[in-house]
Amino acid sequence: MKTSKVLRRVYDVTATLIGVLFFFIIVGVFGLPSAIAGLALFVLAAVVVCRVFPTEGARS
Amino acid sequence: MKLDPSVLARIQFAFTVSFHIIFPTMSIGLASFLAVTEALWLKTKNPTYLQIYRFWLNIFAMGFGIGVVTGIVLSFEFGLGFARFAQIAGPAIGPLIALEVLTAFFLEAGFLGIMLFGLHRVGPKLHFFATCMVAVGTLISASWILSANSWMQTPAGVAVHDGQLTVVNWLHVLMNPSWPYRLPHMLTAAYLTASFMVAGVGAWYLLQGKHLDFARRTVALGTAFATVLIAGQVFIGDMVYGTMLKYQPSKMQAAEGFWEKQSQSPAPYYWFIIPDQKNQRNRFTLGTPHLGSIWLTHSLNGRVEGLKNTPRELQPRMAMVFYAFRIMYCLAMLMFAMGVASLWLRFRGTLFNSRWFLWMLVFMTPSGIIATLAGWYVAETGRQPWVIYGILKTVDAVSPVPSQALLSTLIAFVCVYAVFITAFLIFTFRIIRRGPVEAPVYAEASGSIKNAFRPHVLDSPKRLADSQFS
Repeated sequence: MKTSKVLRRVYDVTATLIGVLFFFIIVGVFGLPSAIAGLALFVLAAVVVCRVFPTEGARS
Repeated sequence: MKLDPSVLARIQFAFTVSFHIIFPTMSIGLASFLAVTEALWLKTKNPTYLQIYRFWLNIFAMGFGIGVVTGIVLSFEFGLGFARFAQIAGPAIGPLIALEVLTAFFLEAGFLGIMLFGLHRVGPKLHFFATCMVAVGTLISASWILSANSWMQTPAGVAVHDGQLTVVNWLHVLMNPSWPYRLPHMLTAAYLTASFMVAGVGAWYLLQGKHLDFARRTVALGTAFATVLIAGQVFIGDMVYGTMLKYQPSKMQAAEGFWEKQSQSPAPYYWFIIPDQKNQRNRFTLGTPHLGSIWLTHSLNGRVEGLKNTPRELQPRMAMVFYAFRIMYCLAMLMFAMGVASLWLRFRGTLFNSRWFLWMLVFMTPSGIIATLAGWYVAETGRQPWVIYGILKTVDAVSPVPSQALLSTLIAFVCVYAVFITAFLIFTFRIIRRGPVEAPVYAEASGSIKNAFRPHVLDSPKRLADSQFS
């Protein structure tokens, strides 16, 4: 139980770091080509997550 | 006490335009959101989408109405407060505003009635077409206005002879250097505003345990749109930054809070400063080391240009530009974080259960409006002391009218607009408190406009019962 909680925290932190990395890429820190590629990848990932994990039927 | 007419004219215009911009931002975003929602309803026949449509249509209608009225006021204010600006800039700006009326307003006026009252008269497909036309109208309107405003930021296609401005290339006026970046920046801001409004209201219902199907769909739609849009906005924002740095360096120098011609290396990113414009220095700074170089020069040790690169008499007020920019930028970062969090929560299947996230969405409901206002303050205060950058100074643009006339009209505007905003907020909160109303799966009528005026459609008991369109 405790391990799964720790794992969840690790996943949360990893997701946050990925988010920060995407922000830095999209804002152009690594140059325009990387920014365009980062934006395309982020949008693609967002569309995939929204399509693959539909939330409308989830319990609130 | 003697009041300066140029200060009063600026305060009046700042007040009326700040009030105005809230409503077009909402209506541009909501019009497209309504078009998407109606398309989803037509595709899925799920009545919840029609519920969402009808719910937000009410708020859109009020915002649209106030936006139009307060926009007309601005045109009159060119004469009241800035007659010299109108006289000099008229040859370039006038046709753009006239074209906005001829193209966007006529299109919107033609279809708005069908959109608001025609669902049970013209049938769903024609009604959807009307919604799309209104949404397109708002886009066209924004595009003309952004063209006019961007021309004031980066004037092109004109020649000045004896203080008189002549257009030499209309294409250059229309597609001036900052317009291709500022237009998508503004449109994305409007869509983000609508996305966070929609998601925030849905989150509020989820926290209250009310209208759950409606709430889940609006939170799902709002966060999905917001996530994609904010990524695009961060990208476009960086492009706008680069463009303004090229054409209006003083604005970006003020926005970053550096005074010296070259900052230290590596440059920090300032979050809080107390600028001393008189002595051209900061009394206090709070920033993150290295981040300024990384974000602003895209290198580890880059130096950032300060405001001393601009002659003192041509500098904007640093405090206004800096804090407006920080508010906009910090809200953008918060929106990006919310987008990433929403994806993560979707992935884990807890988007509707995470109360902290839902509360954050509720608090973020007006974030798009605040960020848009802050962005416009950066654009307008950062351009000072110019009203048309490099061509006409603001102090030379005001009308030769007595300060009493400007003060009395300013007081009148404040009073009338206070009534507008109070009425808007009261009715909006009432609509939110009441919640969405059950909607039929299909619209009653179908077919053409000709069908809409047939007696059985006009006098249909069901239509009459639904005539309040909510």
